[in-house]
Amino acid sequence: MKAVVPDAQPRKGRGDNEVFGEGENRDLLPPGVKGCRLSMIEGKGEDSPMHWRHKDLLDLDTLTVAEIETILQTAGAMKEVLIRPLEKLPALRGKSVALMFYENSTRTRSSFENAAKILGAQVTNFAVAQSSVNKGESLLDTARTLQAMKIDLVVIRHAASGAAEFLAKHLEAGVINGGDGQHAHPTQALLDCFTLKEHLGGFRGKKIVIVGDILHSRVARSNVIALTKLGAEVMLAGPPTLLPAEMKALGVQTTYDLESALPGADAVMALRLQLERQRSGLLPSLREYSRLYMLTTERLARTGKKTFVLHPGPLNRGVEIASELADSACSLIEEQVTNGVAVRMALINLMLGGAGYALDQECTPA
Amino acid sequence: MLWIKNVHLLDPTQGISGSGSLLVKDGRIAKLVKPGEELRTEEALAVFGAKAEEMIQQVDGGGNYLFPGLIDVHVHLREPGQEAKEEINSGSRAAVRGGFTSILAMANTRPVIDHRALVEYVRLQGERAGKARIYPVAAVTKGLEGRELTEMVELKAAGAVAFSDDGRAIQSAELFRLALEYAKLTGCPVISHCEDESLAGQGVMRKGPTSARLGLRGIPASAESVMVARDVLLAGETGGKLHIAHVSTKESVAIIRAAKAAGVDLSAEVNPHHLLFSDEDVRLTETIYKVNPPLPSKADQEALLAGLLDGTIDMLATDHAPHTWDEKARPFDEAPFGINALETALAAVWQELVIKRKVKPEKVIELWAVNPARRFGLAGGTLKEGAPADLVLFDPEWRERITPDTLESKTQNTPFLGKELQGFPVMVWVGGKLVVNRRKVQD
Repeated sequence: MKAVVPDAQPRKGRGDNEVFGEGENRDLLPPGVKGCRLSMIEGKGEDSPMHWRHKDLLDLDTLTVAEIETILQTAGAMKEVLIRPLEKLPALRGKSVALMFYENSTRTRSSFENAAKILGAQVTNFAVAQSSVNKGESLLDTARTLQAMKIDLVVIRHAASGAAEFLAKHLEAGVINGGDGQHAHPTQALLDCFTLKEHLGGFRGKKIVIVGDILHSRVARSNVIALTKLGAEVMLAGPPTLLPAEMKALGVQTTYDLESALPGADAVMALRLQLERQRSGLLPSLREYSRLYMLTTERLARTGKKTFVLHPGPLNRGVEIASELADSACSLIEEQVTNGVAVRMALINLMLGGAGYALDQECTPA
Repeated sequence: MLWIKNVHLLDPTQGISGSGSLLVKDGRIAKLVKPGEELRTEEALAVFGAKAEEMIQQVDGGGNYLFPGLIDVHVHLREPGQEAKEEINSGSRAAVRGGFTSILAMANTRPVIDHRALVEYVRLQGERAGKARIYPVAAVTKGLEGRELTEMVELKAAGAVAFSDDGRAIQSAELFRLALEYAKLTGCPVISHCEDESLAGQGVMRKGPTSARLGLRGIPASAESVMVARDVLLAGETGGKLHIAHVSTKESVAIIRAAKAAGVDLSAEVNPHHLLFSDEDVRLTETIYKVNPPLPSKADQEALLAGLLDGTIDMLATDHAPHTWDEKARPFDEAPFGINALETALAAVWQELVIKRKVKPEKVIELWAVNPARRFGLAGGTLKEGAPADLVLFDPEWRERITPDTLESKTQNTPFLGKELQGFPVMVWVGGKLVVNRRKVQD
């Protein structure tokens, strides 16, 4: 499972439409299948570990620990595939994936796009800014359009909490929540868990601190659910305006004092601070915020042990994380990006794997 | 000439609860035969000035309740301007089917009811519909903009019975103070929708554990309560006549209780949905529960019920807020606030509060007929002889599933859709005219 990533950046060219765009390689057959670890699995029934019972992935509340583990395991194998120079895999040839990003997010969108294309699916990007969406079309009508196009899987990011669930209710196709309002960002949490598992080995007895704008963070909500399910201890830290009392409803410890939370922490996750929070009066200044909550090398030393640093990106260097820490050896930030593709490949494959393709983990590379 | 026999009379204004009968002549209650009294046919003929029994229409009430038609002081009829949601005609029909013989129509239509012609339009449309009595509420400020007062004296002359910017709260304390002062010229109450917009922000449900879990933006309870405190202080200082709409927090109840004890000219309403649903019922995609003020905590519900029972809260009101299916079929953030309630509110209160012995039947009539009539100076709300014959024959055993095809309202945004409720009006009269018979609105 432990993977070495020589170059944390996704392989050059992947996701680049000239190389992997629709059409050009669409009819590429399994190339004999050099280095490919995907194969047909025959006769797998309902009880197969590869059988995925969920139509959608909307949040992590509904997943069992075993299901989360299945995703992480599958992602491990996908990562192997990912770091080898391969042609497009034929696993999902003939399947279509639509990306609907109502909020700007180059990172998450391209991560999903790469994941789907590597698996051989046809990807349609709904350029929301230019589409009917901005002409006032309701999400319901958009869902009906997608339904009519016989899309197999939709990835949606939307500013409204519950938008993914809304879409899922009205679509026969599967829906992956790529982030909905302040509610959930399940694939981010899964990639964070995957990254942590690679470096910590497991979650039992591990302490994870999440620091920053907890109130507005779907990343924090989903991570709390995933990490606690997997057995980690989670602590939330941030200023009272961004960590109001009702956040205790998430069922984990909260504190305003980051430094008191750090001792014993195996990993610390800094959340991105939306700079407009200052204008809304939630923060007096970025200066005071960074003085109290920015992750620095000195501050991290308070854990008293080797501690990894995560961040969902994009970074505000010098606000929530010090630049030199972000670029240091204990930073897993670039690895998170690579793992994001692997985790999304795993999910898409599990969700669309009904065609009979699944990972054959016994297979050795050619 | 109508004689409604074999009924259980309920009239808190006369302390009546028991079997009797009631005679209607010329649209008014001609004679009330109280429990223990008898009325011979010859005597009834004398009341009517009739020669033969055949001239009198007799109705056997089957032992069901007969009480004064309910008066709902908080209804959105959407006309003019948003007729896809509701019209005065459809809302008027929905009202009587739900047991309401008089309703107050809020002013937040398009255009806003802030001119004499518009007040008269609403009143006349109500008369044309010919079902429930429609009393216009006129705006406090022109265009609901919270800047300049409306011509309240003229609006009252046109038929307005109260003033409200409901749907929005007047954010300027000074302007609201002036409204309370100026409305004294009319004697009408100013109805306040209490919401501090800076606290409510972009919230969509009550701030608390559920909003934290769902990641829905929260509206703190204080968004209402600080405004209630402001408004009762201003009412006390000015001596103005204030009515607080849709009270939903325990802090508001406490403030109102204290202000009443201090002698402020104050009344308040609570909406059934705030008693029957809490923030814990909210689900991420069930916009049917998106309402303003948002569904409260369980602790608030207890305080609201206690306030109703001890007289702190004077009345029930539906805040009937119809919206189309398309408008509600959106993500929670984007769907409009509001619950369609006229045809389900009484049954829901009956099923959840009366049958469960939390509220007595007489109390429901006091809260939904007697007190609204008194506070807003309306006819009705009593079975006293000479009062208009606005009557409801109510079958406490009647069970009915709420379905789109049975609803008279143009829209169906009710959390009871598809569910069964118990306790419905089976016959309703307005001014002696039968408007509902066996649950069907009469054309």
